[in-house]
Order: sequence, then structure tokens, then C-alpha cells
Amino acid sequence: MVAVLSLLVSFMAPPTQAQGLTVKKTTATSNQITGNQIIGGVPTRITWEATVDRNEAVKQITLVFPEGSSLGEHANTKATVLEGTIRLDTKFTSTISNTQTVVVFDELVESDLLIRLEMFYVALPEASGEYTLTGSYIDATGREIKLEESQTISVIAATTVDQITQWMDDQPWVEAWNSVLFLKIFLNPQYLVASVPALFFGWLRSLGLVLVGFPLAIPIGLGISFLRMARFGVIRFFAAIYVNVIRGTPLFLQIYIAFFGLPLLGVSLDSYVLGIIVLAVNSSAYLAEIFRAGIQSIHKGQFEGSASLGMNPVQTMFHVILPQTIRRVIPTATSEFILLYKDTARLAAVGVMEQMMFAKSLVASSGNMTPYIVSAGYYLLVTLPLTKIIAEFEKKLAAAEGSTEAPVKKPKRRLFGIGSIETLIPQKKPDEPLENSRSAKKLRLDEEEGPHDKHD
Amino acid sequence: MTSMINSSEQPVVRIIDLHKYFGSLEVLKGVDIEVSRGEVVTILGPSGSGKSTLLRCINLLEKPTEGEIWFEDTCITDPKTNINKVREHVGMVFQSFNLFPHLSAKGNVMLALRKVQKRSREEAEAIALEQLAKVGLSDRAEYMPSQLSGGQQQRVAIARSLAMDPHVMLFDEVTSALDPELVRGVLDVMRQLAQGGMTMIVVTHEMGFARDVADRAVFMDEGVIVEQGTPEAVFDHPKHDRTKDFLGHII
Ligand SMILES: Nc1ncnc2c1ncn2[C@@H]1O[C@H](COP(=O)(O)OP(=O)(O)OP(=O)(O)O)[C@@H](O)[C@H]1O
Ligand SMILES: [Mg+2]
Repeated sequence: MVAVLSLLVSFMAPPTQAQGLTVKKTTATSNQITGNQIIGGVPTRITWEATVDRNEAVKQITLVFPEGSSLGEHANTKATVLEGTIRLDTKFTSTISNTQTVVVFDELVESDLLIRLEMFYVALPEASGEYTLTGSYIDATGREIKLEESQTISVIAATTVDQITQWMDDQPWVEAWNSVLFLKIFLNPQYLVASVPALFFGWLRSLGLVLVGFPLAIPIGLGISFLRMARFGVIRFFAAIYVNVIRGTPLFLQIYIAFFGLPLLGVSLDSYVLGIIVLAVNSSAYLAEIFRAGIQSIHKGQFEGSASLGMNPVQTMFHVILPQTIRRVIPTATSEFILLYKDTARLAAVGVMEQMMFAKSLVASSGNMTPYIVSAGYYLLVTLPLTKIIAEFEKKLAAAEGSTEAPVKKPKRRLFGIGSIETLIPQKKPDEPLENSRSAKKLRLDEEEGPHDKHD
Repeated sequence: MTSMINSSEQPVVRIIDLHKYFGSLEVLKGVDIEVSRGEVVTILGPSGSGKSTLLRCINLLEKPTEGEIWFEDTCITDPKTNINKVREHVGMVFQSFNLFPHLSAKGNVMLALRKVQKRSREEAEAIALEQLAKVGLSDRAEYMPSQLSGGQQQRVAIARSLAMDPHVMLFDEVTSALDPELVRGVLDVMRQLAQGGMTMIVVTHEMGFARDVADRAVFMDEGVIVEQGTPEAVFDHPKHDRTKDFLGHII
């Protein structure tokens, strides 16, 4: 196509090859709402620059657009002449059409000057491809000389989203909506439509982080919880250090140490993988405390009943204690999952590609807050149903444990509405009177342990 | 394998000068007792006298501070003894049942059969159903503990212990957590067991049961055995004032 075009031009202009203009730059401004590419069929601004060679002067320039180009409503061409960085006061007249623009300078543009032509509201062809501008110029003597071919402009075909936002641009109700500054900035319809698909993959990547990280954290956390209850004080001591250091320092700091420290040790890991590891290690400390509280909440009669049947500690743990612990810690562990999921956003700070990172770059390129709002929607898509599930599970658990009282609700920072989960581990004193102990009726707050006071 | 003659003469449980401290508190102050095969021994005494502690020492749920405990020809106070092996043959039923709440009645009975005795599922299931039938709970095999009455739960607990084919059964106030109308069912099961020749050590406040079923009554107070003898001797003609006092209060 480019070849055909240039052929066409070569017929129109006499084949004078003595070039007096050197094309320096040909670009188009991105017209994409959530990206930096140039969409075909949508008006953009094309910038073309050329320098006038020694012993040459330019009177008129004709730039021919790729075939299939069209003009937007206010299409026009502006010419600027620069000497070095100084802008000269240059008078010109310009015309523009679907096929070309012609700029006639009032006075000759002398050698060594830079001519910049900006063509506003020109839509390049709809089909994706690499396009060039061709054309010719007329020198001081009135000779028409063919221009050398310009640099290429990459054009992509409009996506459905581009088309929708394009269509929205023209809708009166969108205009009315956007006339309210708040709505325009935070709930911009065009950016809303554009952000949903753009953030979808970020959402998947964030989910991926937590869906791999959390299952990894479970066995680590369980192992640590065993060590926390080990017979030997030294082991308990080191396990306690692990738990307390991780729970006592900000996740943010842990991320920085891992991402900037490991490379200094010569360990280079994919940042997504490293992100998963940091999340898993962090969460394991919280899970360890959740599991420990869960295991210790099991009545000692369960251990004794098992022992009296000849079961060894390992059999007792796996067949009697853990099955009961799991049911009890599901709500707490689920809320830990929610916290960890939200914490994936912190990895944006070190460049892990996840939802927050996607949203950040959209906001940076658009200057509009709507991508953040859409991002919030994506997070809620996961956290709200889980919160609901926790509440349901709490109810079921309370019923199964034979409790007639509702679990004590204690609102907890950062857990919007799932504040009661830490109350879910029924705790019994070892020598409680039987009326209470036989079906673990009493749910009680575990006051000394706060495994859910997450995170920094 | 021990010879028939030996094992029939040898006591099932023999306790020699047992002392137990909790911290500085001496709870058992030198207890000696022997229980022969097929014997039903009931232990009486006021609250805090150390009855539970004594019972729990027999399967090492409490670690004796001093003294020796023999189970058949095994010294269980010897640190080299594998206590889990011994516990397979020493059944224990608790005041608080201690059923596994996540398993059905049948599952409760099957668990140790499968994991400790390594029996096949079919075998374990057959034994479980047989034992549940013995305690009158054939129709409750699939019920979860929370769906059973206290008396039924306690009978499942008894079936669970019996399934391991124990040589001696320890009962620690197994009816005191039950509503009065549920006590009888559990006592009936224990009575049957006694008649079937099971060696039993029973801590109880059920004086009627102790009198009817026991071969020997042991009265404990403040960590020592004060007196023992046939139920008639202890209940009707107590020699010690403390025994008289206690029986006076109870009856
Ligand atoms: N784990 C323990 N730690 C400290 N002291 C204990 C412990 N278990 C029992 N004791 C104490 O040992 C003493 C004897 O307790 P034990 O349970 O053996 O009495 P008991 O005769 O069974 O009483 P009851 O009839 O009330 O069941 C009591 O003073 C009790 O407080
Ligand atoms: Mg007791």
C-alpha cells in the first residue's frame, strides 16, 4: 500500500531527486484512552518535521496522507519554523483534505531552518499497519521536488472498547455527566468502559499471587504452629522469633528487603515469583498463630481420649485434632486470605505486575481517577462474597457447636464487617465444668493473642 | 506370649507405693493396689481425694512421681515401655465422654481400629457395629455425637474402648455428667460388662451400683487408701471414721 501510494505521488510530481528537505521526524499523538498507541480511524495529531538543507529554500509543502485517512471536525494544519530552538514569526496559509495538506509560506523558508507541521484531527486509516507520509515541496525557483519518504507511524485497529469510548465521546448524556467535575474525575464513563477490560488481566495476576501464595502459606504456617508448641524450648523460641518478627514488621518493609536485598546477594528471581514467596512467608506467620490458637482451643479431653485408645501424638494430631481445628479456623483463615489478597497491592511498589500496578499506569496516562475506582470494584468482587461466606460459616459453626448465643461481635479495624471472626475459636478452660465443656458451647475471645491485628 | 498359668495368676494391674505430686502438692501419698483378672474394683472417696489421678496414672495420662505400676508383665513406669502399646489394652471411659465430634458414632469406634490396630475398613466397620449393638446403639451408628443424648454418647465411648479388646477398663465417674434418667442405660451396660468377666476399675458415686456389681470396694481419702474390702464390709461395717463420715454424707 505504501508502495502504491508513493508510486502515485511519483506520477504527480516530476522525478526530481535533488533533495533539499530532510525529514527528521514523523509522529502521531496517542488517541487511545487506556494506552499509548495510535488507533486507526480515530482523529489524532500528526507531527512532521524537516530541515531545509544548505542552499535551499522552501515556498510550499504538500503532505499526502496514507490512503484511507479522513478528517475530524476541526481538522487543520499549523506550521512552525524554528531556528535552533527559537521560534520564528512565520506567516503561512494551509489547506487540508482527506488526502493531503498544503502549506504555503508567505516568505521563503531559508536553509538550516526547521519546519514543523502539525496536522490536527486527522484520522489515519482504520486498518492496522505502518504508515508513512509522502508529498513534495516547491523551492525558490518554483520547481516541485518530491519529498523523501517519512518515518513510519504504527497504527492499530480500533478495539470494541475504543469504539465504545469513541461513541460515548459524542453522546450528550456523557457530556452532561462529565460536566460535573467529581463525576468526570472519579466516575468517568469513558474511562470506566476502558478500565474494566484493561484491569481484568491485572485482576487475574493479583488473584494468581494470592491463590498460589496462600496455599503455600498454609503448610508453612502449620509447621510453624507445631514448632511453637514443641516440647523443646529452643525450638519454641525460634518459632516465636519467626512469628513475632514477621508480624511485628510492616509487610512493606519485608517486600523491600526481599526485592532489594536478594539481588545484592546474587539471587535473582522473577519478581512475580518473589512476590508470591514474600506473601507466603508473611501470611505463614499469621496462619501459624491462627492454627496454634485453633489447636489449643481443642479440649484436652480430645487428646486424652485419643491417647487412651493407644493413638500416638501424630495420629492424634492428624485424625482427631486437625480435622476439628480446620473447621474452627476456616473463618479466621478466610479473613487472613482476604487481608493477603488486599496486600498484593503493596507489590506494586516494587514493580510486580498486578492489579494495582495496572491501575496506577492507567491513572498516570489518563490523569483520571476512574481506573482506581474500577480497581476497587475488582477487589470487592473477591472480598465481599468471601466476607459473606465467612458470616454464613460462622452461623453454621455456631449451630453445629450447639450454641444458642450468637458469636460476640467485635468490630475490628481493616476488616470491614468481618470483625467477629477472631471470636470464632471456641476456647475452653481445661477444667471447665462439664455442662460447658461437652459440646464446646462457649465462644470466647482469645484476648492475649491477636493474630488478626494485621498488618503494619 | 505369656503362659496361661502365669497370666491367670498374675494381677492385671499392680500398683506399688505410688506417689504423685502436682508441683508441691502431693495428691497420691503411697498407694498400693492389685487388681486380678475379672475383678471389679470400685473406688470411692470424697472430692479431691485423688481417685481420678490414681486412675489416670494407670494409663499414664498422669505421670507418676514415684512408685511402680505394672500392667500384666509390663512395667509401665519404665521409661523404655511403649505406652501406646499398653494403652491399646487399657480402656478408659471419661466423665466428659471425649467423643470425636467430627466423626459419627461408628467413626468414633472405627478410628483407633483402623489407625492403631491397622485393620481394614470392612473389619473395623464390622467390629464397630458389633460393639455399638452391645451397648444398644445399633440404630445410632451413623449419628454424629452432637445428635446423641449424653447417655448415648457415653455408651458410644464405652463401645469405642471395648472395640480395642482391652484387658482392663477404667471408668472415671462416667455417669456424673448425665441427667438422672440417662444414668441407668450406662450402668446397665457396665453391669453387663462386669457379668461378662471384664476386669474393671470404677470410680463412682453410684453407691447402689458399687454395692451390686463390685467385687471389692476401695475407700480413698487425701491420697491414701483408707480401707478396702467386699462392698458389704466397707458399706455396712466401715472400720474407719473417715469412711463412716463419707458414707454418712453420701447415703
Ligand atoms: N492437673 C492438675 N494440676 C494440679 N492439680 C491437680 C491436677 N489434677 C488434679 N489436681 C489436684 O489433685 C487433687 C486430686 O484430684 P483428683 O481429680 O484426683 O480428685 P478426685 O478424687 O477425682 O476428685 P473428684 O471426686 O472431685 O473427681 C485435687 O486437689 C486436685 O485439685
Ligand atoms: Mg475425679
